[in-house]
Amino acid sequence: MSDDRVPVVADGAWTDDVDEEEGVVVNWFAKAGRHVTVGDSLCELQVEKVSVDIDAPTDGELVEIVRGENAEFSIGDTLAWIEPEG
Amino acid sequence: MIDRELTMSRAIVEAIGSEMRDNDEVFYMGEDVADYGGIFDSTQGLLEEFGYDRIMDVPISETAYLGAAVGAAQQGMRPIAELMFVDFFGVAMDQIYNQMAKNTYMSGGSVSVPMVLTTAVGGTYSDAAQHSQALYGTFAHLPGMKVVVPSTAYDAKGLMHNAIRDDDPVVYMYHKRLMGLGWLPAPEGPKTPVPEEEYTIPFGRADVKREGADVTVVTLGLHVHRALDAAAELAADGIDVEVIDLRTLVPLDRETVIESVEKTGRLVVVDEDYRSFGLTGEIVSTVADEALDALEAVERVAIPDVPIPYARELEQEVQPDAGDIETAVRNVR
Amino acid sequence: MTSEATVRALYTDMVTARYYEERLQEEYLEGKQPAFDISAGPIPGELHLAAGQEAAAVGVCHHLREDDVVTAPHRPHHVAIAKGVDLKRMTAEIFGRETGLCSGKGGHMHLFDPDVNFACSGIIAEGCPPAVGAGMAAKKRNTDSVAVAYLGEGAIDQGGFLESLNLAAVHDLPVVFVVEDNDWAISMPKERVTDVESAATRADGFDMPGLRVDRDDALAVYEAGAEAVGRARDRNGPTVLSVQVHRRMGHFMGDPQSYRSDEDQAAATQRDSIERMETDLHAHGLGDDAIETMRETAHDRVDDAIAWAKEQPTPDPDRAYEDAFVNPPSGVTDTEPDFDLAETGGEEP
Repeated sequence: MSDDRVPVVADGAWTDDVDEEEGVVVNWFAKAGRHVTVGDSLCELQVEKVSVDIDAPTDGELVEIVRGENAEFSIGDTLAWIEPEG
Repeated sequence: MIDRELTMSRAIVEAIGSEMRDNDEVFYMGEDVADYGGIFDSTQGLLEEFGYDRIMDVPISETAYLGAAVGAAQQGMRPIAELMFVDFFGVAMDQIYNQMAKNTYMSGGSVSVPMVLTTAVGGTYSDAAQHSQALYGTFAHLPGMKVVVPSTAYDAKGLMHNAIRDDDPVVYMYHKRLMGLGWLPAPEGPKTPVPEEEYTIPFGRADVKREGADVTVVTLGLHVHRALDAAAELAADGIDVEVIDLRTLVPLDRETVIESVEKTGRLVVVDEDYRSFGLTGEIVSTVADEALDALEAVERVAIPDVPIPYARELEQEVQPDAGDIETAVRNVR
Repeated sequence: MTSEATVRALYTDMVTARYYEERLQEEYLEGKQPAFDISAGPIPGELHLAAGQEAAAVGVCHHLREDDVVTAPHRPHHVAIAKGVDLKRMTAEIFGRETGLCSGKGGHMHLFDPDVNFACSGIIAEGCPPAVGAGMAAKKRNTDSVAVAYLGEGAIDQGGFLESLNLAAVHDLPVVFVVEDNDWAISMPKERVTDVESAATRADGFDMPGLRVDRDDALAVYEAGAEAVGRARDRNGPTVLSVQVHRRMGHFMGDPQSYRSDEDQAAATQRDSIERMETDLHAHGLGDDAIETMRETAHDRVDDAIAWAKEQPTPDPDRAYEDAFVNPPSGVTDTEPDFDLAETGGEEP
């Protein structure tokens, strides 16, 4: 496992809109092994009534999904890992 | 191999966005489609790219705005007009069935109405009689409009591209529970791999979602997935079910149904619309007309002829579920 | 004073329309007597004639171009004539012939002439939303074409009209709503069914100008039409224009009009817009002979159109199955795409 891997994190500006710390991963769109581009919508989280897309933080290969569909998470958790290119 | 999956709503939005990029004359109009992105996510994210002029919020005036779509379409634009719940058709049916559906024929083909009428259908979440209907039969029965009912994200995108490009009016009915909404979770099944490029799926081609030798189950929309669940259960008992997803009602792929019944001899038709005078009767009579000798047993599974009730126990009683489908399959063997 | 050319043009279309309705009345009643059988004769079905309503048609339509859109209701012939619809093919359509505007599929209430953007429809007020849509298309495309919806005073109580007013107003669309007020919705007099005296009052409630022409005068309509159409063309929004007209014949042919007093029926045939127009022509220096010539030319045109129509073939019954769609049933493609869908629900890997 490379130390260059970039985490896909359950975090973002949207956290200001919610009171809860926990939520559910409702949908994964990208499969493990997919080449992704920065900004691609990778998965969808739901916290209370708020639905939010988590986008790829960098170009690269989505090498591992840590929290799959229906998994619970806390804000700040790692959802997946991307092996960046370059 | 396609390495990404989309929910049905995202596949629909992807098709709409793509067509709007390709052609300035495509625009979307409906209630709450702009900032809200559609009550059922039908336009989610499109406002940012296309603005209020092309993702148009309209007043609560279905006759006016659906009729305006007819008028704009007759001038050659390609409007997509959304009827928020199919149940609301009552306040605007004249523009739908007397104008949109008939102007092409009444003009002898000299005018066309290249619009798409999108609408949300279906129950199973306690929205009661005026907000839970499917009404497939009502729209399929009246001549002059194509009627499309996708059950998966892959089908939804291809059918939407065809619907927008078709010069004829298309009623595109998407089931609320298949869209992949956070507040109305979808079952397994509608979220599928979806190619990134544009593609079209022809109308009038049913899709065999599961091949089988023993019993033919014909259905559409949400009940494709309930039928597949039933088929998985029945497989454990050695009963091999063929599940046919009609995908479009007008035109209707009768050949695929007949071919299947000629193979199995046993037919179960499953519909989320009312039982009498509708889709199930149409499929059964198609087989009676053209393959009567092959037909050994038949059963219809549909909502009974009552308005859809509110209380969960009551709604679950009237809504066909996988168990009801399983029972029907066992009954025809 | 309006130019002589304009007055001549208005008059020509008015006498054409008047004579057209009178001739159709004769043709229609043929074969339906002595006992009236609605399905018999060369023009079966319903027929709604507009004798007496010509001013409303010419006064607005003579401000329009071919690319302007007009929708009309079940009483459409005078509007069609004023809009420049192909008279021979319109007549053939009314006689249900194969070479009619709609191949015999529409008939008198559903005439479509896309060359001049004219369409009519038989459901009360339901021509208004498509006219609003045509206005919407013009605005989106940034052209200066306009849309005009014709309706009767009975239609101003229908939801479709009211919704259309709001939609046109909120989006500031180039639409003119022309209300032909002939006082009668079949047998119901206006005051028994509507609480306002003029459709122009409805406009106030929808934040748009409401104009009224309260006498049967084509030049007065022409002046009001200039304001309404001009406002739309200048992109300053919609207008309601209510025009007083007289229905000289019954609601539909065969209507005995027993609900109408003799006085009311007689009043409808008194000095009307065509007679007024002849006075205006005299004022421009035309003598009776010149006017008579115009009238005869118009009558000849109508007679020719009717004669032509009656020679046209009736449709082949097999054609009844065609024209529900313009594209094939399958849409824009015939073939399933060819993706590797190993993991799509249902497809076997």
